[in-house]
Amino acid sequence: MARKLMKGNEVIAAAAINAGCRYFFGYPITPQNEIPEYMARELPKVGGVYVQAESEVAAINMVYGAAGAGARVLTSSSSPGISLMQEGISYIAGAELPCVLVNIMRAGPGLGGVQPSQADYFQATKGGGHGDYHVLVLAPANLQEAADLTQSAFDLADRYRNPVMVLADGMIGQLMEPVELLPARPAVDLPPKDWATTGTATSGGRRRVINSLYLYPDQLEQHVHALYAKYAAMEHAEVRYELHQCDDAEVVIVAYGTTSRIARSAIEKCRRLGLRVGLLRPITLYPFPFAAFEQVIARTQAFLVVEMSMGQMLDDVKIAVAGRKPISFYGRTGGIVPTPEEVVKQVQALLGGGP
Amino acid sequence: MSTECPLSPEVFTTKDFRSSLKPIWCPGCGDYGVVTAIYRALATIKRPPHEIAFISGIGCSSRIPGYTTAYGFNTVHGRALPIAQGIKMANPDLLVLVAGGDGDGFSIGGGHVPHAIRRNPDLTYIVMDNQIYGLTKGQLSPTSPRGKKTSSSVYGSMEDPVNPLLYVLAYGAGFVAQGVPADMEGLAKMIEEAIRYPGFAFVNVQSPCITYGDADTQLKTQRMRMRKLEAEGHDATNRLRAMELAQEYGRTLYTGVFYRNPNPPPTYESQIRERQQNLRGETMALEQLLSRKSTDDENLTAS
Ligand SMILES: Cc1ncc(C[n+]2csc(CCOP(=O)(O)OP(=O)(O)O)c2C)c(N)n1
Ligand code: SF4
Ligand SMILES: [Mg+2]
Repeated sequence: MARKLMKGNEVIAAAAINAGCRYFFGYPITPQNEIPEYMARELPKVGGVYVQAESEVAAINMVYGAAGAGARVLTSSSSPGISLMQEGISYIAGAELPCVLVNIMRAGPGLGGVQPSQADYFQATKGGGHGDYHVLVLAPANLQEAADLTQSAFDLADRYRNPVMVLADGMIGQLMEPVELLPARPAVDLPPKDWATTGTATSGGRRRVINSLYLYPDQLEQHVHALYAKYAAMEHAEVRYELHQCDDAEVVIVAYGTTSRIARSAIEKCRRLGLRVGLLRPITLYPFPFAAFEQVIARTQAFLVVEMSMGQMLDDVKIAVAGRKPISFYGRTGGIVPTPEEVVKQVQALLGGGP
Repeated sequence: MSTECPLSPEVFTTKDFRSSLKPIWCPGCGDYGVVTAIYRALATIKRPPHEIAFISGIGCSSRIPGYTTAYGFNTVHGRALPIAQGIKMANPDLLVLVAGGDGDGFSIGGGHVPHAIRRNPDLTYIVMDNQIYGLTKGQLSPTSPRGKKTSSSVYGSMEDPVNPLLYVLAYGAGFVAQGVPADMEGLAKMIEEAIRYPGFAFVNVQSPCITYGDADTQLKTQRMRMRKLEAEGHDATNRLRAMELAQEYGRTLYTGVFYRNPNPPPTYESQIRERQQNLRGETMALEQLLSRKSTDDENLTAS
């Protein structure tokens, strides 16, 4: 397929269908409505089902049901709607079912605004709902990556029997870029869905029960340990990140998604000013690329974390750096996207130089 | 009861309830008529703006509290009723108005409606029912007719709409009416009556969305389609007949009062007051409560 100019939200929707997603349950909310609208239009054509649920609570529980039945299923929303889904996400993680969630973040807290934000990092990466669990979180920075990550999200969900979230923001959702959508190829080595409620005919007469309830503490502890063994496996095998111009960098900017695009422009400007600046861009936010910091920490003088929040990923960077180098933070919030010039100024302040 | 507070000696006009904020609804949106009807109703009720709390959810229609001088609360999508109940319990003397859209009230917030009704707080709930999601730009709403094509129901909806009138009647709402902005006088009067009703009162306003709504829901056609219940000789104390007429929702555009309970049951707030008074003699001193023996504590926490 040739490259096609598409809008971010549509890219995610098209990539999901490409990956074999046939079920979508959602509830309208700005700025992600192009995803459900694309699904409403295209899913029935490929034998799929689209439902506008009565709320996000209903939508995530429809996801729970379809995932339990063994389907590839997607829901998408934006920050307030994702908050409403947290109960269901916790149950899905507890019951070990695969599904893909998309959060096109907008500024909060509360109703906040509809402009882009990255202030749901804590919610996305630290569990979000109640109990000991994690969602695997993928953060695309451009639309080709949004397509590729959405497609692999379905494989990752199936492999780990765990919810996978594609975390982007209103800016990426509304962006237009050329994208090439490769035909769906579910990974060949995925485990069979021998837990799905597909009827006893396929289970050899054995009853299959999907459940997140363990009344005996020792059993629940065992179950949570099993979940954490999966998270350890994710941390081992699934960490993704990008290092850009870090070889000689005296300042390493840490940013993901939209802010990494800003950082990239800022780095270009810095380089023209003779400032040696690089970018460490986490692509998986959970599992976080802690080890990547070891590749740059010896040379860099300081880290600069740039987020559209008051500093959330910053906490993970602090864990990675462990006090060995100074970390400074630059964040805009409320729906404001920082400009490259603002970031350049931060770098100049750090390196003591400046025009 | 909203009439428990001493009435103000002041005389109010609609201007006293109009805020300086200019509505940002699309020109021709039915919600302009609704807010005007509310100004008119409030001018007759004679409660000063500071004794009124106006609660809404999220949606185009939910912007309405901002256009009045009442104390306002633009809350959470679908949660206006629980929040309004919290307000009413904390300050029963306030006149509490609740408003929002069809999606807010009957989709995401639909689960709250029966519970508000069965508690029977003295609230007036006004739904601006435009059969569409206005704020999010034209998706299917729970009151959209079957077959309706929208950006989120591209090939036509496959669901029957919620019938808001039947819904609230079924759960026992004491006052149920339907109005249209095309009949301003009728709408203002029924909102006034709803506010005066001592208990949960519901007004469904067929408030057209000019941008995403159907042509046959617009103000011009409303004038031709509407049929006044009063003129039909409907007896508003007859709940079963009200339910029969309510079944016409989506077909015949009846306006006026469907049902008014002739013997309003006690409100939740009045029951709370009574309970508090009855128990006053038995109330344990706080120290006594805090120094209770552990067996009592266990009983208390065993649940
Ligand atoms: C939890 C949550 N989900 C979704 C939204 C987005 N949203 C805001 S208003 C609305 C529906 C608007 O329709 P309606 O309630 O009928 O009001 P109208 O705009 O038509 O007056 C939606 C889906 C939100 N704000 N919060
Ligand atoms: S979109 Fe529809 S409901 Fe919203 S302000 Fe415009 S006309 Fe009114
Ligand atoms: Mg509406």
